[in-house]
Amino acid sequence: MSGEPAWTEGTLLERASAGDTAAFAALVRRHQRSVYSLSLRMLADRFQAEDLAQEVFLQLYRSIRSVESETHLAFWLRRVTVNRAIDRLRREPPLSQAALSEADGLAAEPSEIDPILERRLRALLRELAPAARAVVLLRYQEDLDPTEIARTLKMPLNTVKSHLKRSLAALRERLGNEDPDGRSLASDARTLT
Amino acid sequence: MSDERNNRDLERSLRAALRPADPGEGFAAGVLARLATDPARAPRPRLSRATASWLAFAAAASVVLGLFVAHQRQVLRTEQGLEARRQLIQALRVTGEKLELASRAVNTSERSTDSSHSGA
Repeated sequence: MSGEPAWTEGTLLERASAGDTAAFAALVRRHQRSVYSLSLRMLADRFQAEDLAQEVFLQLYRSIRSVESETHLAFWLRRVTVNRAIDRLRREPPLSQAALSEADGLAAEPSEIDPILERRLRALLRELAPAARAVVLLRYQEDLDPTEIARTLKMPLNTVKSHLKRSLAALRERLGNEDPDGRSLASDARTLT
Repeated sequence: MSDERNNRDLERSLRAALRPADPGEGFAAGVLARLATDPARAPRPRLSRATASWLAFAAAASVVLGLFVAHQRQVLRTEQGLEARRQLIQALRVTGEKLELASRAVNTSERSTDSSHSGA
């Protein structure tokens, strides 16, 4: 980000812990995409996702002195975001279809796959149970391995593996059922120029 | 083999579909604005290890001091009790001696009165 001091994350953490709001804002900017994306894919609503992501950072500000390192910060943010999202999904009624469609097409970079397949995958993801959805997001959005996912969600490793296996099977089956020509997914994936 | 390939393709498609989304320019400013109106905004103080050690030491010292003071009070009370007992015994002894003297004086006086009567 232009105009932002080139401090390491460790320095930013120290300064934010000491009450430096500018350092805290820099931390927010560094992690906002990850937190917002997790919120968005969990809740499937832009406004709720933005609200949730802001709440996560407010909570971070209050507890920043308990965050010990950069690695701990990323872990803390993912865990709090997913837990808060699951809590919201339990508390609040399902979203309308209008809100769901609004959540599409917000990715930061152009898609590498067919936009129709992309929208379909996101829609199918929303049909997964919240815990399974969180596992898939942490695996394919945050690129965590199953052990890290288990630690983040405080879930047994076998449960994580089982969620991944069943979710992928369900997604593959649903996509296969919808493809009348029986094409493989590879043929749907094409680079946009 | 085909399943494996399909899995790989699906995973690749998922990664592409789930690439990070941007919350927009004003997101961090929004967080700071909410922070400014947040009643519980102050970061919770985290004690440094040295401060925590000092506090633990101070708490332990307070307990030890409290026990010591309580013990001293108990010792003082016991000593005061013993002193009071000693004084009471002393007072009883003095009283006893006085009574003894008085008794003797009375007896001597009675005897001399009797002998003067019998002599007359």
